[in-house]
Amino acid sequence: MIKSIDEYLEQLKMELKDSDSATVQDALADAEEHLRTALANLKQEQPDASEEDALGQVIEQYGAPDETASAYKEVERLTHPVLVSGSPKDQSIIARFFGVYTDARAWGALLYMLIAFVTGVIYFTWAVTGVSVSVSFLLFIFGFPLALLFLLSVRGLALLEGRLVEALLGIRMPRRPLFSHQDMKWLDRLKALVTDKATWLMIVYMLIQFVLGTVYFVVFVIVLSLSLSFMSLPFIQLFLSTPIVSIDDRVIYLPYWTLVLISIGGLLLWTSFMHLARGIGQLHGRMAKVMLVVD
Amino acid sequence: MVDSPTLTKKFQKELNAGIASLVMLSVLDNSKEPMYGYQIAKLLDDYSGEASFMKQGALYPVLRQLESSGLLNSSVEPSVSGPPRRYYEITSEGKETLVVWQGVWKQMKSFVDKAIKGV
Repeated sequence: MIKSIDEYLEQLKMELKDSDSATVQDALADAEEHLRTALANLKQEQPDASEEDALGQVIEQYGAPDETASAYKEVERLTHPVLVSGSPKDQSIIARFFGVYTDARAWGALLYMLIAFVTGVIYFTWAVTGVSVSVSFLLFIFGFPLALLFLLSVRGLALLEGRLVEALLGIRMPRRPLFSHQDMKWLDRLKALVTDKATWLMIVYMLIQFVLGTVYFVVFVIVLSLSLSFMSLPFIQLFLSTPIVSIDDRVIYLPYWTLVLISIGGLLLWTSFMHLARGIGQLHGRMAKVMLVVD
Repeated sequence: MVDSPTLTKKFQKELNAGIASLVMLSVLDNSKEPMYGYQIAKLLDDYSGEASFMKQGALYPVLRQLESSGLLNSSVEPSVSGPPRRYYEITSEGKETLVVWQGVWKQMKSFVDKAIKGV
């Protein structure tokens, strides 16, 4: 007999322990939303029913943890191959090459590469400051709550980063924080956080993000400016009558047919970069999933 | 010995697996406003009456799956009481697909009816 919603969720988590971590968190979120709503409604309809009876009825209708788990496993098993196959294969190479412009994941990855620069700096500063301040203050008694606050903030930032990764890179990430044990003493919570490998992976991610964010940003800006200048070359010579190449005092006007080629080259460069960005985005998303999702 | 209740349960489950998507799309197509899981479950309870065809918990993975195939959209909104709710609504692709599926269902129904009656 299950006595509380938290107990139900614990059991559901146990049943789903072999499933994809994102599926587990979704299943838990769905169950929590439903059970709480259903329980509240039932209590309004039957104010006399005891908490245990009411929960029993609600779970009877919702399904036992193993039944619910098997429903998620079934859907996961049936849909997984469909989700993996991404781009349609029946298009020509050219259509697929330029089709990247209609791919939300490519645009999302570009945006992510820009944002990663800012978030990278913030994460790095926060992680370095947090670790050094926490460690040095551990000499004093008030260093412990400080360390706990910092580690909790790391968890929060990891969840936030996960939302960003899911929104822009399309990689499924957890949507809710893990259930924290409210009844635990804070010193035990600190111990649990410090001994959890996941916390340290998150901090490492925050440090790495600084380097990656900078690289992404620099590459993005270089390729964007190169492509744009290549694409605009014909117009500069055509309308502004400004020579494109000048060596010392000699100026060279390029023949028009080369200008068209250079312009097309700029377009191809940018389109290729969109493909590259999409690939980088997917890789980054996979890395984020490994480092930020707690099993 | 034939374990009739278990076989029946299995049969019911296999039937549900196919029909759940059709039912869920239809419910959301008929609804003017986005609905959250518990609302859908309640409505389906009303439809099924005494006979309960599927556990409410089995609805949610189907909703998630329909969303990931682009037939549904969802958004999370905070609720006055309890945890935030995920509201689902049908997309235009969902509506198009539903028309096709309803056609398939009609054909399937008449096919099964004929097989049962043996006409």
